[in-house]
Amino acid sequence: MPTPQLISALVETSINGVLALDAKSHERLKGLSGKRLWVHVRELPWPLTFCFSQRIDVLVDSDIEALSETPLPADCCLSLSLTTLPLLQDSSQITKLIKQDKLELMGDIHVAQGFSQLLSELNIDLEEKLSSLVGDVGARLTFQRLGAVKTAVTKKAHYIKTIIRDGAIEEKHIVASPIAIAHFCDEVNMLRSDVERLEAKLSLLEHQVNPSTDD
Amino acid sequence: MSDNPQHSDQTHFGFKQVDKNNKASMVADVFHSVAAKYDVMNDLMSMGIHRVWKRFTIDCSGARQGHKVLDLAGGTGDLTAKFSRIVGDKGQVILADINDSMLKVGRDKLRDRGVVGNVEYVQANAEALPFEDNTFDIITIAFGLRNVTDKDKALASMYRVLKPGGRLLVLEFSKPTNDMLSKAYDMYSFHVLPKMGQLVANDGGSYQYLAESIRMHPDQDTLKSMMETVGFEQVTYHNLTGGIVALHRGFKF
Repeated sequence: MPTPQLISALVETSINGVLALDAKSHERLKGLSGKRLWVHVRELPWPLTFCFSQRIDVLVDSDIEALSETPLPADCCLSLSLTTLPLLQDSSQITKLIKQDKLELMGDIHVAQGFSQLLSELNIDLEEKLSSLVGDVGARLTFQRLGAVKTAVTKKAHYIKTIIRDGAIEEKHIVASPIAIAHFCDEVNMLRSDVERLEAKLSLLEHQVNPSTDD
Repeated sequence: MSDNPQHSDQTHFGFKQVDKNNKASMVADVFHSVAAKYDVMNDLMSMGIHRVWKRFTIDCSGARQGHKVLDLAGGTGDLTAKFSRIVGDKGQVILADINDSMLKVGRDKLRDRGVVGNVEYVQANAEALPFEDNTFDIITIAFGLRNVTDKDKALASMYRVLKPGGRLLVLEFSKPTNDMLSKAYDMYSFHVLPKMGQLVANDGGSYQYLAESIRMHPDQDTLKSMMETVGFEQVTYHNLTGGIVALHRGFKF
């Protein structure tokens, strides 16, 4: 079974499925229509090509060396790590990422940014989508209960965190409190200043005893 | 596997020997019968894997914006739909099939899905393609070649209409590379498939023909040499799902 094609099918189905949940995404997708984005995520053995039309088709490109091709295999070609992917949303970071060799970029960056924007600006009203399946009341109740569960889980998590922190700091003394750490840091800073002053005094004395050593 | 019957007046129709002149109409009858349930049966028979095989074919096609693609024996248009989006407004996809029932089902399906503008539908015999020389950048024939009466003639016709630099992709059932898999596959093809066809499409006979026609189709190396004989260069094949299906790719230079 061709694994790359299975993965590209999964990616394609997921992206188009998510886009279909936001009615306005098709308008934003029109701006990218006809463009191709070639992405080589370094953690994956094969690059993916995203072809934009009224939907997004994901192709597997067997040629990793495509960045050296002329003409390029797409309007925009990116080679980067998974950890760099979210940083692309901030266009001011791109030059820095290229200088740090975290990003190889050829072609029109606006295609990549347009794709990133398309996904980040998704506005999906899940309650409305659910209401078409189970009715307005069912959807409302479901989301109210989910909200209540979320609040309860958050409160419980906060409570457990507090218990563990207090137990570790106050009772078992296996972790220092934030105030103790700040105090320790202050003392280290004072000690560093004292050492620097001592060094300066020693240097001065050495110069007075043996003035010729400076020459 | 030899394709010798093609050089006499007889050819195979599944395991039967029939007159060459009759095979096209017999194959046509099979596809008239299964056209309406073709997609459902494909998903059922292959457990959806045929979609992955077709994706692999498209990935190997190197299709780009502006390309002209011939989806031969394109049936219900699975490849055409994707090619249409890839080649864009400047490109063109021709969905060709010898069987008008399949073509109608394909055309209706694609139009319902909004695949319009750069797709044309042509009823054509692969042995005598009605296109000028050097017309297409890519030709695909998925699960169609085994139904063609004279495969050499069809391959030569494809070579003629392909542009220099263009490529042909033949996705077709082939010979499993593993004996155990081969036996399991035989059992599935001859015992399960016809019953499934009877149950879903109310036509066990057509699916009996499908199983038989797969066994009569040239194996990987034979098809490779057939492509080379008509002029294709750099011919390679990839076995998919243990050789149950193979994708052959050849270039015209």
